[in-house]
Amino acid sequence: MGAVRPRRNPTSGAPGTFRARTAGGLAAVLAALLASALLLFLVLPVAGLAVQGGAGGLRGLAMDRELRGALLLTGAAASAATLLAVVCGTPLAWALARRRLRGAPVVAALLDLPLVLPHPVAGLALLLVLGRDTPLGAALLAAGVRVVSAPLGIVLAMLFVSAPLYVAGAAEAFARVDARYEGVARTLGDSWWRAAHRVTLPLAGRGLLAAAIVTWARAVSEFGAIVIIAYHPRVASVLVYDRFTSFGMREAVPAAAALLIVALVPLVLLRLLRARPGVGEQP
Amino acid sequence: MSDAGGMSDAGGIEVQGLSAQAGAFRLRDVSFAVPAGAWGVVLGPVGSGKTTLLEAIAGLLPTQAGTVRLAGRDVSQLPPERRGLALVYQHAYLFPHLTVWQNVVYGAADPTLAREVAERVGAWALRDQPVRALSGGERQLVALARALACRPRVLLLDEPWSALDPSRRTRVRREVRRLHDEWRLTTLTVTHDFAEAGGLAQVAVLLDAGRVLQTGAPEALFRSPATAWAAGFLGVENVLAVQVVGAAGDPAMADPAGGDAPAAGPGEPTVLELRAGPLVLHAVGVAPPGPAHAVIRAEEIVLSCEPPAGSARNRFQGIVQEVAAHGPLATITVDVAGTPFVAALTRRSAQEMGIGEGSAVWVSFKAHGVGVVPDSRTVLRPRA
Repeated sequence: MGAVRPRRNPTSGAPGTFRARTAGGLAAVLAALLASALLLFLVLPVAGLAVQGGAGGLRGLAMDRELRGALLLTGAAASAATLLAVVCGTPLAWALARRRLRGAPVVAALLDLPLVLPHPVAGLALLLVLGRDTPLGAALLAAGVRVVSAPLGIVLAMLFVSAPLYVAGAAEAFARVDARYEGVARTLGDSWWRAAHRVTLPLAGRGLLAAAIVTWARAVSEFGAIVIIAYHPRVASVLVYDRFTSFGMREAVPAAAALLIVALVPLVLLRLLRARPGVGEQP
Repeated sequence: MSDAGGMSDAGGIEVQGLSAQAGAFRLRDVSFAVPAGAWGVVLGPVGSGKTTLLEAIAGLLPTQAGTVRLAGRDVSQLPPERRGLALVYQHAYLFPHLTVWQNVVYGAADPTLAREVAERVGAWALRDQPVRALSGGERQLVALARALACRPRVLLLDEPWSALDPSRRTRVRREVRRLHDEWRLTTLTVTHDFAEAGGLAQVAVLLDAGRVLQTGAPEALFRSPATAWAAGFLGVENVLAVQVVGAAGDPAMADPAGGDAPAAGPGEPTVLELRAGPLVLHAVGVAPPGPAHAVIRAEEIVLSCEPPAGSARNRFQGIVQEVAAHGPLATITVDVAGTPFVAALTRRSAQEMGIGEGSAVWVSFKAHGVGVVPDSRTVLRPRA
């Protein structure tokens, strides 16, 4: 058998093809430059904060009681807000995902509202409902429940801005689990609740956990709504702002760096969770 | 399954005027019955509502109208878990966070029974495997075992062995049939396999576009399709557009040796004269003059090289257009004055008769072998 000479592509050397290749290469280089610029813009400030304030932040975590207290309050309030979002938002998310809700588009639009409101506006709106001079706020105060300038106010402000994220994430997690799994469980003798407990929640669990982590992270980072409804006691973000306005960058940066360290925890957890798809989730 | 034990033995599946919505698709006014302990099949093209029907019977879809009675009890308002049935989907829907054995015993009250069923359908050997490791066919086996392990009174199967290889399919089908007989299950299966429908079922339901087109014994459906579309769907090879000219006489005289029945009265089957282009056909049936379709199964058509000596009233000479082999059988398409007739022969017979493309042959069939479907009975299909 003689050797087979590879046939030359008659168009491979054409000037038009060369121009197309060059244009494609330039477009790729341009896209890479733009993407790198954006990444640098996002990473540089955070890296600067870590470099300049990292050591101080760690020292602050150990020595600064006020900072530690603010971080603990932030974590506790965010956890409480997340818990409330999970308890109240999970059934709503299921109903939205399974289209079992009349007026679902209206509900979805209502859930988006807190996300589009500027956060100080959200704080003002909460104050209009829960402030001391409002019927509800006055009634709560009379019952011994303080909202304004109290940890409860912080929790409610965090809940207001972060719960929509949980509902959206949880609805997506439920939607990825085929409703026929629940149907099969029902025909095998499970009540709705039992099927949810034995099948739906385990299958959607990873997505629900991811939604809860996002909710917690969002709650931790909240400032605008909290500063309106509860400047005191100070959460970490308010403390950073307070130190910046009172003492300048030198005092604010270590506190900000400490908050950054705390914020990294959910970020890492989220990445780990998203590393592989959940069992039973539709691709 | 909790109420299954309390069900009476009377009645199997009785669906009356059932309407249900699944997204944009709607089941409309579906009625049929499968007697207790009988096997029913649901036939129909893709998108005709077969799975939706099973889900509506199972209570997984809210019904808009009509009733579902299972084992003599109206279950229309009951949730799925109180209907005493089990449903197996084509895609199995095994719970992926559980092992195979955990799936099998999911709804089982008796693990010993679950093990017996798993062994009988061939899922026992897979018991320790994770669900993700199973093939499509193995998943179907486990889904069958899981459903049967609940010991339901009514079993709904949606193409439950479509992913099995032919030999295993035969074995599993036989085993499920045995369980069906032993437990006196009432079973309703969605299938695209007409042989399975004919071999297993006592009742067939033909669905199209969410409506029941025809229901009855499978032989009746295959022998006398209700519409020309149904005939085509059910695999009738010869569906000819004809004009019913009128009555041509006594059915006893349909074919000279057709019998000595008394003359037909009004509304009773009579010999009809049909025109298909230049051809004049004879059929036995009831149809008003006007457009219709003649329905003739390939096995009703006799081919011969000489003018037929038998009693068949329909006899034409034509030219063989095509000989197509299907295993040991062959379908022969004969052109008769521009009208194609399809006949079925064994390949050996075709060879012995010397039939090949271009051969001149005689086509004959009895008037009793011709079904007539008036076009007025053709159900309008929303999908063209």
